Amino acid sequence: MNPPLLQVNGLKTYFNTPAGLSKAVDGVSFSLQPGETMAIVGESGSGKSITALSIMQLVPEPAGYIESGTISFDGQDLLDLTWEQMRSIRGRQISMIFQEPMTSLNPVFTIGYQIREAMLTHDKFKGESATSRARSLLERVGMPSPNKVLRQYPHELSGGMRQRVMIAIALANEPRLLLADEPTTALDVTIQAQILTLLRDLQRDTGMSMLLITHDLGIVSQVADKVAVMYAGQIVEQSPTNTLLSNPLHPYTQGLIASLPSRSRRGQELYTLEGVVPPPTRWPAGCRFHDRCSKRLQICDSQMPLATKYDDTRSVSCHLYPAQEMAGNQERLK
Amino acid sequence: MTTGYKGLENSVRNDSDAPVLEVRAVSKQFPVRTGLLGRKEFHTAVDNVSLSIKQGKTLAVVGESGSGKTTLGLMVLDLLEPTSGEILYRGQPFSSRSGSNKRALRREMQVVFQDPYASLNARLTVREALTEGMIIHKIGDGPQDRERRALELLEHVSLPAETLDRYPHEFSGGQRQRIAIARALSVEPGFILLDEPTSALDVSVQSQVLNLLLKLQREFNLTYLFISHNLEVVSYLADDVAVMEKGRIVEQGPVDDIFDRPTQAYTHRLLAAIPRIGSSLT
Repeated sequence: MNPPLLQVNGLKTYFNTPAGLSKAVDGVSFSLQPGETMAIVGESGSGKSITALSIMQLVPEPAGYIESGTISFDGQDLLDLTWEQMRSIRGRQISMIFQEPMTSLNPVFTIGYQIREAMLTHDKFKGESATSRARSLLERVGMPSPNKVLRQYPHELSGGMRQRVMIAIALANEPRLLLADEPTTALDVTIQAQILTLLRDLQRDTGMSMLLITHDLGIVSQVADKVAVMYAGQIVEQSPTNTLLSNPLHPYTQGLIASLPSRSRRGQELYTLEGVVPPPTRWPAGCRFHDRCSKRLQICDSQMPLATKYDDTRSVSCHLYPAQEMAGNQERLK
Repeated sequence: MTTGYKGLENSVRNDSDAPVLEVRAVSKQFPVRTGLLGRKEFHTAVDNVSLSIKQGKTLAVVGESGSGKTTLGLMVLDLLEPTSGEILYRGQPFSSRSGSNKRALRREMQVVFQDPYASLNARLTVREALTEGMIIHKIGDGPQDRERRALELLEHVSLPAETLDRYPHEFSGGQRQRIAIARALSVEPGFILLDEPTSALDVSVQSQVLNLLLKLQREFNLTYLFISHNLEVVSYLADDVAVMEKGRIVEQGPVDDIFDRPTQAYTHRLLAAIPRIGSSLT
């Protein structure tokens, strides 16, 4: 296997809050191959967005900070870089798109200016070539009449069109890794399908890797090669997409899939995960899922389960699967 | 348990063939001003829509943003007057109601909104939120009886009795949505408009709220108009579905018919776009 493009190891991102120390991301490890798409799924407050912001080193300071861990991109630990060095990676090698295309664009500049700005900041394309490249980027993201859009302002575009512009900006410098944080949540379902298809096609053409953050298992099924399920700041299960959806291991993953409404379940009571995700300032002791778990063992409220290799492609953090421990994960016990 | 919940107009309620709600050829136009001189033009948000729902059933209205489903919902609640057409509740047109008759309508028709963070008054305790409607509609014999009713409502939505003295900010999104549902039930309605009631909720909380809505519908024989863009939720909860596009209903019928045999291109596109587990992008 090739060396991974991105390797995150034991990442902990904490926040000082009035309610106490919030361990938003608490020991997350995963890796991503070139050209691969990994989805991080989880409910609000599980730490999936903060994981992406940590990779970009855009965690809101001073409240938030990276406590420990490594984020190795193309063999280099991003956490060792200076602010200036990181700045040259951000937007050039790693780009990010967000959920809200309404608020991510600057309302007082034209679309053309904002796409050119992304390129000029990184000096890759200049002058006239920047404008023509902006035009071809807009064509590439399926924008009708790109020449006109270059002169338009964000408010003149619909949500789907703005998200296309955001993707064009993110791709301006041909990044090797795209972080997409709920890129279609604010969009209508037909537009969502267009954007997801676009992302997949662009990825196929450019060979970039993608980290997709979502709460929608249907989207995961359509787009991702593999999935990490996050709960309470940790990854509880990692698996190839098809295996995860057909044969989930962790009781939390099983519960999430079982609680989805569908036509075949009409009129029947849906499975429910009792309770709510606990606040990140007060994670429960032991397994963080134990008080909501239907398969709880005695050990679960006192001892945190380690990430365990279930087979060649899957790992799970749950006492129901007491196999040999994955190397390098001992520190999660702390 | 005894519910303390007795419906209005019981004799009418048992007549299951007559529609509870009937929307007849309703349109709504909004004036839009264009240009400096303000030439007046009209935008047709809802265009000649007809539908009806029977007692104890759920009709879903689906469509994308701007399709007119929220405008339709506001008219059904009598919060917005149609430009043309007529809406009837239990056979009686809205337009013929006034005074106490209108107040009775307000009591019969309740609503649960999408965003439980915005739909509860932050300054009212849960007790006040649950009893306010009872006071207005003269339900219950004095404060003690209303308190008893409020406690029963909390039991129905599976919230503990301590909830009464708390404020909305102390609760999670799912708990707030339960409070909003209890508030809707507090005046013993026959009909509830559900406007995207689970869109703001996490998956695990969504299933709790959906279960609750089904349970309450069976218990109180409630009629639901369910506005949603989530077709998976619609196919789970609704009996019938109406598909809206640009203010018009392009197709309506039983969920199975529409989902299995859509006749309109737009319905096709909408169904094809649902990211289902096991489906693939085209």
